[in-house]
Amino acid sequence: MSKDYAVIGKNVPKIDGREKATGAAKYAGDLKFPNMLFGKLLTSPHAHAKILSIDTSEAEKLPGVKAVITHKDVPALKYGISPARWDENIFCIDKVRFIGDKVAAVACIDEETCYKALKLIKVEYEVLPAVLDALLAMDEGAPQVHDEYPRNINTEIHQNFGDLDKALAEAYHVRNDYFVGQRTYQSPIEPHSAVSIWKDNKLTIYSSTQSPHYFQYYIAREFGLKMGDVRIIKPFVGGGFGGKLEPTGLEFAGAVLSKLTGRPVRTFYDRHEMFAHNRGRHKVYMELTTGVDKEGKILGVHANFVSDGGAYTSLGVATSYYAGGLLTLTYEFENYKFDMIRVYTNLPACGAQRGHGAPQPKYAFESHLDNIAKDLGLDPLEIRLRNARQPNTVTINDFGINSCELTACLEKAADISGWREKKGNLPKGRGIGIATGSFVSGAGYPIYRNDLPQSAAMIKVHEDGTAATLYTGAVDIGQGSDTALCQMAAEAMGYRYENMKIIAADTETTPHDFGAYSSRQTLMSGSACKQAGEEIKKQILDIASTIMSLPPDDLDCRLGIIFSKSRPTAKTITFEEAARRFFVLRGPLLGRGVYHVPRLGGTFKGAAVATSPAYSFCAQISEVQIDEETGEVDVCEVWDVHDCGQVINPMQLHGQVHGALYMGVGEAIWEEVLFDDQGKILNPNLGGYMLPTALDMPIVHSELVESFEPAGPWGVKEVGEGATNPTMGCFNNAIYDAMGVRIDSLPLTYEKVWCAMKEKREGKTESNTEV
Amino acid sequence: MYLPDFDYYAPDSLAETCEGLEHFGAKAKVLSGGTDIIAKMKSGLLNPEVLISLKKLEDLKKIEYVSGKGVVIGALSTHNDLVNSKILNDKYLSVSEAAHNMASNQIRNIGTVGGNLCNAVPSADLPPILIALGATIKLVGTKGERVMLLEDLFTGPMKTVIAENEILTEIVIPDQPSTGSNYIKFGLRRSGALAVVGIAVAVTVNGGTFTEAKIAIGAAAPTPIRARETEKFLQGKTISDDLLAEAGVIASGESKPISDIRGSAEYRRDLIRVLTRRALHKAINEGHV
Repeated sequence: MSKDYAVIGKNVPKIDGREKATGAAKYAGDLKFPNMLFGKLLTSPHAHAKILSIDTSEAEKLPGVKAVITHKDVPALKYGISPARWDENIFCIDKVRFIGDKVAAVACIDEETCYKALKLIKVEYEVLPAVLDALLAMDEGAPQVHDEYPRNINTEIHQNFGDLDKALAEAYHVRNDYFVGQRTYQSPIEPHSAVSIWKDNKLTIYSSTQSPHYFQYYIAREFGLKMGDVRIIKPFVGGGFGGKLEPTGLEFAGAVLSKLTGRPVRTFYDRHEMFAHNRGRHKVYMELTTGVDKEGKILGVHANFVSDGGAYTSLGVATSYYAGGLLTLTYEFENYKFDMIRVYTNLPACGAQRGHGAPQPKYAFESHLDNIAKDLGLDPLEIRLRNARQPNTVTINDFGINSCELTACLEKAADISGWREKKGNLPKGRGIGIATGSFVSGAGYPIYRNDLPQSAAMIKVHEDGTAATLYTGAVDIGQGSDTALCQMAAEAMGYRYENMKIIAADTETTPHDFGAYSSRQTLMSGSACKQAGEEIKKQILDIASTIMSLPPDDLDCRLGIIFSKSRPTAKTITFEEAARRFFVLRGPLLGRGVYHVPRLGGTFKGAAVATSPAYSFCAQISEVQIDEETGEVDVCEVWDVHDCGQVINPMQLHGQVHGALYMGVGEAIWEEVLFDDQGKILNPNLGGYMLPTALDMPIVHSELVESFEPAGPWGVKEVGEGATNPTMGCFNNAIYDAMGVRIDSLPLTYEKVWCAMKEKREGKTESNTEV
Repeated sequence: MYLPDFDYYAPDSLAETCEGLEHFGAKAKVLSGGTDIIAKMKSGLLNPEVLISLKKLEDLKKIEYVSGKGVVIGALSTHNDLVNSKILNDKYLSVSEAAHNMASNQIRNIGTVGGNLCNAVPSADLPPILIALGATIKLVGTKGERVMLLEDLFTGPMKTVIAENEILTEIVIPDQPSTGSNYIKFGLRRSGALAVVGIAVAVTVNGGTFTEAKIAIGAAAPTPIRARETEKFLQGKTISDDLLAEAGVIASGESKPISDIRGSAEYRRDLIRVLTRRALHKAINEGHV
């Protein structure tokens, strides 16, 4: 639905592009304050151990050390990001639960002294047996990570929709497959940092966060402060991808250190500490059973999953529900059973990572679906077309789908990739694979129960009308929301993007917004910004009508020019003139907007998770070249076709697709956080953790289909996470097409491909490479 | 991650450098490009009390051809010096290529040849190709200097024959009749990856027959190794696809790789089989690349 918009739909330059490109942009770790101290955390060297004693006396004596704190100096109140399972303490009290668990902190005059002071803190541990394997964690007699959670079960889900047994009994073909994911880490380029300033009963924290609101809420709760006395400010942020959504130890420790010393304290993680803090993607063990009819129509699905949650809950309850909840989106079926157990282990906690919960189950399901297609002799494209979700439908687990152009995405992806010409005709070693994805355009419910609107926004037009400032709680962490929201505000106002200013993500100056997660801001924050812009426009046209002696209904404003709709020759006036007049006569010209999600979803347990006002859809096709002798995977080319509604900024949108694909490709082939047999990370750095380099990236074709989402402002919906979801399954299917081997665990490493080809040659089972 | 305290010296001469090393003994380490030692010190794997920098030894920054001797590479030449050296590009492009496929551009700009050799990491990229080309090294100490084959430098992972008061000053690739050489690195991504295995070959081919073949393999044993049985097997034989394939099998059998996070021993052995064959094939057909 292409309309003649003045500002949206255009490739305007990023509002912060110059500052970032010139290095002028300041991130939390760049900030300096007079008298600022540096703070570091002491963490556990053991995966599981009792704390017998902590002696900080030597550290306190070291010159330059201003404070040393342990659990005795901080509230004992447990926190977390998932209210159902608050299970973390600021510092461990009785025992440590993973290598990297927080034990103490120091504040010193410089960074160097911090490291020396940490070495002087003496902690006596009694090492306990650790549970490092999720599949053994539920066994009788396994070490208990938390006493409150028997058999280490953190989250248990059993959902049953329709009549699966009947569907499988009546199916023409039933297939069962088993796949295993891997633990990955978000690896944002900017390490986590926070500057905490606790002064006169007010706590101010500059933090590299995806959500000032949740930080404000949880920090106020932890210290018994009023939310109004906690101010969270987000400076520039260098990426989050889900890993900066919850308060880390940095803010809590920094706050207490600042209170004790009366000085600002900057706390920060190094790269290896980021890996230890983690909150990356869960490793999920996935059994799938699907029944289809003769034509390949899916009749019923059973998803039976176990995931390794690590030592704490983090966002894992939601991750677990997402893992199965989102599987119903891309293909229509009426019978579905979802069983899931998330277990505690003595490894770093897992949380939300781009595509929250969905990518690994999608890898499993897309691989599984290709297996079914092969069993039936169907083309993988064809089986997807036959099952593709259609618009204005409701999933079996009660998610309402408005716009959905998945069929068009599949057709377009097939066309532009040459699927029909290539499939079955590529030389050996070269293969082509297909997969689909879908994702929420914002979680339908906030993370902790409350009735606040999802987003609010204000616009203040300057007194002479030459600029307008958008105040929004929305959080730009690099994805470009500041730019997109200014475009949306300017469009609604009838103003120019170039004259927009923005103040965002500061809990004291900007209106409430839940933040950057679940791909929510373009739709949700955008709705509030649009409404605020429209309120400005209404007022500006009202004052203009008195200046122009024309009825306000006959006036419109576009790119800062106010004109008569019915009299094209009538003299126009500028937005500036009208705004200035408004200020003189009526005072500040302000616009306000607010966005509430309508009530969504069913009534069963967990029905709220994965509800959303709108869902994006996409199809991906990838082509690979496999070295038949070494197993080396060359990811040659990817075609991504997205249904993401109206596009606000095409350049940023394609940037999101490229970025999501980059992460998806990395998780598909290379990335995995590896541990030794003591629970210590073997590759906590960018040398050992195999993120793809620019040279490893495939050629990317990012394309769109026409789409309009009625629930979104101007018809928008998500793009930022959805493009990660199909990628791993897509590559697995391409490898299968190339070599006839199915890799049943992520990542799809060269060695696994080599191993599978070898087993195939030697006539062993065709598809079991799980290690 | 923070660099611990240490004393720092940057002597003006080779003699002073060696004296300093002798004086401090085991307390001291040599600092060249620093791409390895600084990272190890930051992560607590090494804790020398003294670092003696070679940065003022300008004489060690050179790549030149000396008639009758060969290509002389000063130990302080950076990896990118190797990449961009016209002499190497002309005579032994395979060395430039091996350097080009190392690490990342930032590290290639600062890391040195001497450091890469003295570090003695089994997966290092430069030793195999230099060994295959018969390179010698010069070690200078307080009691004089000695020249030896590069392949005799290594005694184990991170272990060499270099005495506490010695430093490596130059590498010489001797004039030779070889007709082709190359290094195939198998890494897990295209940049910033360590070799899972690295195979270097230098062959002398005359009328379809191997006069000589030298094969050096990295990440296949505690030190870079020569595949001597394979070399013997090839000598004097007429080149054929079967011959090269068989050479790969023999080389694989000569290797003693370990399993680590980059690959299992079994995988490495098979990679050695495949890549030895490919490296030989390339050396025969494409010359020094």
